[in-house]
Order: sequence, then structure tokens, then C-alpha cells
Amino acid sequence: MSVDSDLLLGDGVDLLNRESRFLDERLWDEWLGLYCEDCQFWAPAWRNDDELTSNFQREISIFFFKSRAGLADRVWRIRSGQAPSLTPLPRTTHVISNAVLGDNSTPNSMILHSAWTCHVYSPRTRTQHVFFGRYEHELVLDGGGGRIKRKKITLMNDYVPSMIDIFCV
Amino acid sequence: MRNFDINAYIRDDPKSNTFEMHRDVFRDPGLFEMEMRSIFEGGWVFVCLESQLPEPFDFHCTRIGRRPVMVTRDGEGGLHCFHNTCRHRGATLRQSECGNSQFHVCDYHGWAYDSKGQNIDIKDQEAAHYPESFKSKDHDLLPVARFAAYRDLLFASLSPDVLPLEEYLGDARVFIDLVLDQGSEGMELVPGRSRYTYDANWKFQLDNGVDAYHLTSTHRSFAKVVQRRTAGESENKQVKSPDFKSRFAMDAGMFTLENGHALLWADHPTPEDQPVYGAIDALRRKVGPVRAKWMLRQRNLTIFPNLQLADTSSLILRTFTPLAVDRTEMNLFCLAPVGEADAPRSKRIRQHEDFFNVSGLATPDDTACYENCQAGLDSGVDDWLQCFERGMMLIRDGGNPAADELKINPRNSLYSTYGVQNEVCYHAAYREWARRLSGVAK
Repeated sequence: MSVDSDLLLGDGVDLLNRESRFLDERLWDEWLGLYCEDCQFWAPAWRNDDELTSNFQREISIFFFKSRAGLADRVWRIRSGQAPSLTPLPRTTHVISNAVLGDNSTPNSMILHSAWTCHVYSPRTRTQHVFFGRYEHELVLDGGGGRIKRKKITLMNDYVPSMIDIFCV
Repeated sequence: MRNFDINAYIRDDPKSNTFEMHRDVFRDPGLFEMEMRSIFEGGWVFVCLESQLPEPFDFHCTRIGRRPVMVTRDGEGGLHCFHNTCRHRGATLRQSECGNSQFHVCDYHGWAYDSKGQNIDIKDQEAAHYPESFKSKDHDLLPVARFAAYRDLLFASLSPDVLPLEEYLGDARVFIDLVLDQGSEGMELVPGRSRYTYDANWKFQLDNGVDAYHLTSTHRSFAKVVQRRTAGESENKQVKSPDFKSRFAMDAGMFTLENGHALLWADHPTPEDQPVYGAIDALRRKVGPVRAKWMLRQRNLTIFPNLQLADTSSLILRTFTPLAVDRTEMNLFCLAPVGEADAPRSKRIRQHEDFFNVSGLATPDDTACYENCQAGLDSGVDDWLQCFERGMMLIRDGGNPAADELKINPRNSLYSTYGVQNEVCYHAAYREWARRLSGVAK
């Protein structure tokens, strides 16, 4: 790997790490601020035991938002204190690892593939669960630390105990 | 559970307008055993859709109560339903949810079966020195006692002592038809589903599927998100879901049907938001004006004991499997017409994900409330729940004009406005529950 791509990867990983910190520390505005207004946030559902759905216009997704406004709706609900499943709000810790640059990444735009786990503790039920999977981020690096243009989440364990929200993946 | 007396659990006295269920109904492991035997393993249970096995040699695995079963399609197109367990040592033959295979070979000792359940190979039998009596034994897969289809819906019963399926479904067939007739080329499950569990009794889902009363409290965060979208405070334009309060003045009602089925209905304040709306003129020509009107109404149907078809902001098929007295597995699908155009399909999907997905804005709040109920009931307080009498004074024996236009004969009906948010439609399921547990019902 060249020095250039090392630097590029470092910038990308830094952005991913900031995202996970904002989620875990409930810095929702900062988290939303990482996303482009016209971002795509997509977690496809599984079609069967082996295959994911591939067409979000004709098939079900676990999450699909075609703009930051869809994420903002979720943040509004998380903050509202009016959702029984989010009262008290589950605590999370994200761990992101194994990041590699995708093909055709440039200093302005890069694809980053990574692995993630999210530990979720529910004070309501005093239970915990680990969701895990892979991310594919498309990042736009515009000098200001970069923003997320597209995020695809593969959730490997889609047998969900009671609830899953955007901050659990 | 000695000296079981159903009256210790249900007080159903129409003369004094009383309907109460004891709290133990949701928490007693002994009752759960009885439910498994007399309801899930003693009568008709929804299994899957025929369209989930479109090709010869497709198979689909699920459970009937606690028993793993597999549905297979043979080479001639016939459908079968077997216990998913090898005759040799009992291993499940298939562990994946679905697939396609002409043969089903046990991983353990290699016994093989065809798609009709016939044993076609006992590995190395020629060297086995089995007794003569072994050779005369039946080695085929064990079929379930009854297996039948109503249109695309497949049902099975582990007990042979059941009504014919059509008779069991009765007038509920009219409401199944209102779902399955929406597609000119039939209906399909949209690929991708929500599979989740909650740590509470299965009957919380049974009731919640026809519960209008919880919407403005349990789902108040969803309702406020919808209001923010309508008011332009949210920039989210990808989904338009209805506002609960706008429904309160609409005509609404319910039917309790024989054998535990129930239907909750309401006029839709904005029928043009229903995914089916664009096809309604063609549907009116196909099914007539009355049924077309009912297709645009919101309808929540429960087919006792484990199937719910809800046509509200999206069209869903929900099925549930009790895992323990306080644990339930849910499978949720979106239904859509085969060959639906892109625009109504994506609208349907977004509305489905927004509300019904376990990752959505509403369903996790239901499961959280079921779990909160279980936690409260597990305290063991000796008391009767007060959630079965809302709307009691509006109940009519038999039908009403709404039933007459559909030519159905419900056991009870109610016709008022949505604001009543009745809880008397639960009576159907608990009367059937009581009949089954006291050994009266087939």
C-alpha cells in the first residue's frame, strides 16, 4: 500500500470512528452532521438464509433512507422520550475494524469496507445483545473532515430480540 | 393443573355484560402446555404460502407449535407436509428455511427421502443384518395429520379430529379474499422479512393485531413523527403514513367470527394513500363495488391461532410461533400484487418499513409493551384484566348492515366510529381458547 492510500485510509477510518463515538455518546446532531443531505442509508433485509435483498425499490430493507431527513425522523423519535422501546434508552458500544479501501478511491471520494459489532444493553429488560455485520461507506472528503454519502449495512444476525434501531447497527 | 376449571380463567357472561380474563392466562406454564397441545398441536395452524414453493422440489421449513415441519413440492407439483425429523435417529432433515432438492438426505446416517416423503435409501442396508421385522416397518417421513390449502394459504393440523379447513375458516374467507383478490395476477410475499422475538406470551400479539386502542399511546412517537411530516417540520418526503387521530370520526367496527377469528375495520380517512388505490377501478369491475369499497377500508384480520392479515398503511402477513409461555417468535412479511408497478411497490415498501418492521417506528414499541405486560403479570397478582369490555354496550348479536353487504354471519358485530377503539373483538379468540382448553372444540 502506498503512502497516499495509507493516508486516505487513515482519514476514512477516522470518520468511521467519529461516527461510532457520536452514536455511542448520543451526540445525535454531530452524528447527523456527518451525513450529506442527499445521503443513502441502507440495510438490506435477508431474502433467505444465504442471500440479501438487492433492490430497495421492490424488496424489503431493514432500513432504507434516501436522505438525511429519514435519519432525522429517527433522531427526533429517539430524543422524544415517548417511545416505549427507547425508554430508558438502550446503551451501545460500537467497535469498527478491518477497514480496507475499495477500488477507485481518490482523495475526494472513497469506498471503505469494514467490519462492525454493536453491543446493546437494555436497562428496561436488563438484557444485552450483540448485533454484528459489515459496513460499506462511500465518503466524500472535502477538506472539512469528510462526510458520508452512502452507507450500506449488512446485518449478519437478523433474528432480532424485540427491537433494533439505527443506533444499534 | 389438577381439577382444571376453565371458569378460573375466563368470565364470559353476555347477560351481565361481563368479559374478563384472569392474569394467569398469560403467565401460567401449565396453561401454556395445554395451549400447545389443544391449540397449536390440536387444530389448524397457518404454515406458509403456496407461492413460497413455486418450483418442483422446492421445500420450506417452519414449525407447528413446537414441532418442526417441512412443506415440500413434489415433481408433479403436489404439496406435502411432513414432520421435519428423520425416522432413523430423529435429526431434522433440513435446517435452512427454504431450498430446492429432489431428495432429503439426513446428514447423520444418510437415510434418504424423496419429495413425497418416501424413504428411498437406508444407507448400506444390504450389510445391516436387520431383522425381518425391521424390513416390514414403514420408514417414510411422517406426514402431519391434516394438510390443506385455502387459495394460496397453507394450513396444517397435527390432529386428525378437525373441521374441514373451509368450514374452520368460515366467514373469515371473505376477508382473506379481500387481500388475495387485490392482484390481477395474484399476490406475492415481497422478498425480505422481519424475523424477531419478544419475551412475552404469544397472546399479546394475538390481541395487538386487532387492537385500535393502543395506537395513540404506544405509538405516540410514531404519530408525532407523522404529524411533523404533515406539518413540514420533517423534510422526509419518502413516506406518507396516516395520522391516527384523523381516523377517530370515521365509520368503524368489528366482527367476531366462529372458531376464534376476528376482523377489525375502519373507513380510511385518505384512501388515496393506500397502495391498492391506483388499481381500484379495475378491482371494482372484478370484485364489484361492495368488495372494492372494503378493499379500501383498513382491515385487521386474525385467523386463530397464528395468522394476521392487516391492510392499513401497507398490507402485511404476520405469523407467530410460541416458544415458551413468555417468549414468542414473529415473522412479518409485506404482501403485494404480482407484477405491481414500481411506484406503488416502493410506496408500499416504505410505508411497511416505516411502521411494521421490527426496525421501524412502531413495532418495537409494541414488543416493548408486551414485555412490560409480561413483567407486570409475572408478579403473580391474583386479579382479572380489564381489557375486554371497551365497546361492550355497542355489541350486537349476529350481523349488522356491514355484515349483510358482505353476506357474512358473524357471531357478534359492532358498528360505530373508530374513536370507540373497541376491545371486544378479542372475545372471539378467547372464546375459542376456552373451548379448546376445556376440550369442547374440534
